Amino acid sequence: MNLSYRIYYVFFRNLVSYKRFILPTFVVSLGQPLFYLITFGIGMGAYMGYFGGKPYLNFLVPGVLVSSVMLSSTFECLYGTFVKVSYQKLFDSLIATPVSAEDAIAGEIAWGAFRGLVSGSLMLVVATFMHVFPVSIVNVLLLLVLMIFIGILFGSLAMIVTSFAPNFDFFNYYTELIITPMLFFSGVFFPLDRFPGWMKVFAKFLPLTHAVNISRSAFSGVPSPGLALDFLYIILLEAVAFYIGIKLMKRRLIK
Amino acid sequence: MNTMIVAKDLTKKYGDFTAVDGISFEIKEGECFGFLGPNGAGKTTTIRMIHCVSPVTSGTVTVLGKKSHIDNREVKLMTGVIPQEINLDPDLTVYENLVIFAKFFDIPRAEIKKRVAELIGFVELESKRNSKIDELSTGMKRRLLVARALLNQPRLIIADEPTTGLDPQARHLIWERLRSLKSRGTTLILTTQYMEEAEQLCDRLMVMYQGRILKQGSPRQLVSDEIGREVVEIRIAKEEDEKLIAQMADVSCGHERVGDTLYFYCRDGHEVMKKIVDFNLPNVLNRPATLEDVFLKLTGRTLIE
Repeated sequence: MNLSYRIYYVFFRNLVSYKRFILPTFVVSLGQPLFYLITFGIGMGAYMGYFGGKPYLNFLVPGVLVSSVMLSSTFECLYGTFVKVSYQKLFDSLIATPVSAEDAIAGEIAWGAFRGLVSGSLMLVVATFMHVFPVSIVNVLLLLVLMIFIGILFGSLAMIVTSFAPNFDFFNYYTELIITPMLFFSGVFFPLDRFPGWMKVFAKFLPLTHAVNISRSAFSGVPSPGLALDFLYIILLEAVAFYIGIKLMKRRLIK
Repeated sequence: MNTMIVAKDLTKKYGDFTAVDGISFEIKEGECFGFLGPNGAGKTTTIRMIHCVSPVTSGTVTVLGKKSHIDNREVKLMTGVIPQEINLDPDLTVYENLVIFAKFFDIPRAEIKKRVAELIGFVELESKRNSKIDELSTGMKRRLLVARALLNQPRLIIADEPTTGLDPQARHLIWERLRSLKSRGTTLILTTQYMEEAEQLCDRLMVMYQGRILKQGSPRQLVSDEIGREVVEIRIAKEEDEKLIAQMADVSCGHERVGDTLYFYCRDGHEVMKKIVDFNLPNVLNRPATLEDVFLKLTGRTLIE
């Protein structure tokens, strides 16, 4: 694969253009997860019992946090990339330079991961104000690293979809049939231990489930059983998705 | 002069469709070489293979001895492309567009500043330095594309229909800029549908049609070989052709009927005109021969539909 340090140049291009959109995108990245935190966390939480000795809000935050990373990186690598490819034909000019198609796609994924990191970090700041935060600074750093990995994972998955999407509307298949259900079946809003067997197995196949587990451990400081498996799953899926995403997208860009 | 580009049996197929059909040509360093032909002739497809953004189906094309393929960074480093589509970055200003693009070539920051300032001056866009792309006219956008193509100080510049959609004034400005590049020794490949552009800029050119090369040579040579020096156009009914052709046989060196017009080719228009005047025919035009006539003769249709 023709990857090089030039990935940074593509990332930098996105960074420069981003400064015009910081405010509106902040609002969007924060909006939905914040909505969940307040309505479910505080609102519904008042009616709920305790989870592992803590209020519902504490149970909710780790999951919502990784969800916001998932959403941001997904949207960036779906809509953001699609606009650049189809309408703006930006990559045509780029590919005529020493920056390869692979560099460009990896740069887009890296950017998606960065957007995810920004969302997740903002969420962390908001959660801190709500008195929910990881037990130590080391755990905070681990959480940030997790966010980057999750960002690359979902960015790559989104890139696979973008590689064969004929138009914007096509993305609805992915967002409504895969991303949104993942939010509800991954243990973000309620624990999975009282689910029927088949649902538990199904949840294990969802990357978000494993991300939520790791996030919960980072907040509580207590490593959950199967944490190693969670890491393994994420890293493997990420490597595969990254490779396939680049290969498929390259086919779309190079004719 | 050194040879810059060599193409041998260069072919491009999209599935069953052959866009470029085993063409061979050579381009010398420092010359302005034109690809003249209508839409769909295979001009853009060919140059995309030359500057390494489109994979070659079969055959080869080399740039200064280096074979062109998708991952060839060396060729890309020494090539500047003025594309047909205006693919500027709409989220960035004029200045930012150039700086970001310059970074793609690993040019150091101080050098970028210098070159960008110089090039904005070269294309006369100083007043628009901090403007967004959608605030520019088409002519300004095309000038910006020219500036962008020069950031890496390329030895080879590819201009793909660089004046499409421009008014005559804007067109002449771009021609001026391209001519000054040529005087610096840069090799220029130009694709165009406009015979005036080809005649103004190109040292040599090849006429392309349906993926093949019909003829190669200098503009003047092509015209004089195929047509002569002058053309007399007569708009008469088809039925009159045979009679008129027979009568003109001793003064013309060829003829062609296209649509509602009969064209006579000749070395000297005077003789033909003398006869025409005698016959008292209306709708007659005597003019110098052009590349359009060459194309017409070779394909039976006009360059621009």
